[in-house]
Amino acid sequence: MEKSLFDKYGGFSTISKIVLTFYDRMIEDDDVGPFFDDIDLSKLIDHQTKFISSLMGGPATFSDDHIERAHRSMTIENFHFDRLKEIVTETLADFDVAPDDIDVILAGFEDRRVLLVEKPNVN
Amino acid sequence: MSIEAINEQLLRAIGVGVALVDLETLSLNFSNDTFNEWFGDNTLSAKLNDLFPDLAIDDLIAEMDKGGRLTTETSFKLRRRTMTVAMEFNRAANTKQNISVLVCQNITRIKELESMIDSYSMMVERNTHEIKREKEQVEKLLLNMMPRAAYDEYKTFGVVSPRLFDPVSVLALDFVGFDSLLSEHDPGVIVSELNDIYSAFDRIGAQFNCQRIRTNGDSYVAVSGVPDLNEDHAMAIANSAVRFLRYLERRNVTHPIQWVARIGLATGSVIGSVVGSQNYIYDVFGPTVSGATTHRTKANPMSIASDAQFGALVGDSFQISPAADGGDYILIDDFDDAGSQG
Repeated sequence: MEKSLFDKYGGFSTISKIVLTFYDRMIEDDDVGPFFDDIDLSKLIDHQTKFISSLMGGPATFSDDHIERAHRSMTIENFHFDRLKEIVTETLADFDVAPDDIDVILAGFEDRRVLLVEKPNVN
Repeated sequence: MSIEAINEQLLRAIGVGVALVDLETLSLNFSNDTFNEWFGDNTLSAKLNDLFPDLAIDDLIAEMDKGGRLTTETSFKLRRRTMTVAMEFNRAANTKQNISVLVCQNITRIKELESMIDSYSMMVERNTHEIKREKEQVEKLLLNMMPRAAYDEYKTFGVVSPRLFDPVSVLALDFVGFDSLLSEHDPGVIVSELNDIYSAFDRIGAQFNCQRIRTNGDSYVAVSGVPDLNEDHAMAIANSAVRFLRYLERRNVTHPIQWVARIGLATGSVIGSVVGSQNYIYDVFGPTVSGATTHRTKANPMSIASDAQFGALVGDSFQISPAADGGDYILIDDFDDAGSQG
């Protein structure tokens, strides 16, 4: 069986560092940071741990339904989503994730753009 | 620069928040830069309970009066980040003033890590639970395909070695006119009925320590004495056989499709093993198995056929009749139903 990116890059030991760096950059960012103004710390960390783990094939179940519900109340534009992708890319690159693997992760992420930006289930 | 000035500069610059609390007025008379960065620049004019609304002031005063110490935590937002700071109040020693030293450590990262570990632990626990459930399902499935002893051997060694079981008794059953049933009815209905009937046979067999070995279409083979030795193997298999027929008789009264079985029984030895490298099937082989299937072909509809060797083992408990056509087989029935067979 092919090793997941989660295992390839050192499991939770590395992922925990990626999550915290990602978390720091997201809340400090002027474009996407404001989305996290009123979100409880533990909820946000939980969300991001599951998010990064599932993107890398770790032991997380993060359904599209869950993602859609978590972002339903936010007005997310394409440029927010693009910025988010930039932060993901920068963070992964800082942890020596290979460019090809970053592309794989970003592709999984791009597949869900529609859930966040267009919100198919919101009238 | 004097030593005092250097000390004050150091105190102001360190990453720990430090303040001096006047316990008489409950206000601050010193706070360093880190403290001000966290709690605002006007801390010197603020009252302690304005700065920390959740702080138990009475507890603080009581502890400070004893010369003790009070530790607590406070959380606040700094920009978007939820900061958590551990506070420790210590009564200042060697001073006539009623002052407490407040030291604040930033434990935000620890809290963030705790949250992350909680989140991760829950994910791992859920996964572990799912893996355990899947393992149980696989085990249940494999136990349907082989006896527990064979399964345990397979789990430990990766193979199941062929084993001779002696003595055992074998039951072979099939249904009269099965091909006609298949052509006359929807295959889904037939499979559902077979599932119903075989499940009932399994339950009946289990009551008498008999184990179903395989089914193949309308052929059902069970054995007693595998994998655990059973001294009453013949009685067990005969008891199962007559109850299979009773069950079918009762079922046929209330169901539109009539299932008419023939059963052959034999006793002797068998070899038990798992066969196949991709599709594991536990099976038994030997003359006893073929004996049972041969007797089955001689059995009339809804009757049980065997040979004298088997009859000798169960003769005291079952009605044994010679073959009506003078053949070298016998018919077995329970005493209650004696005479009902031809």
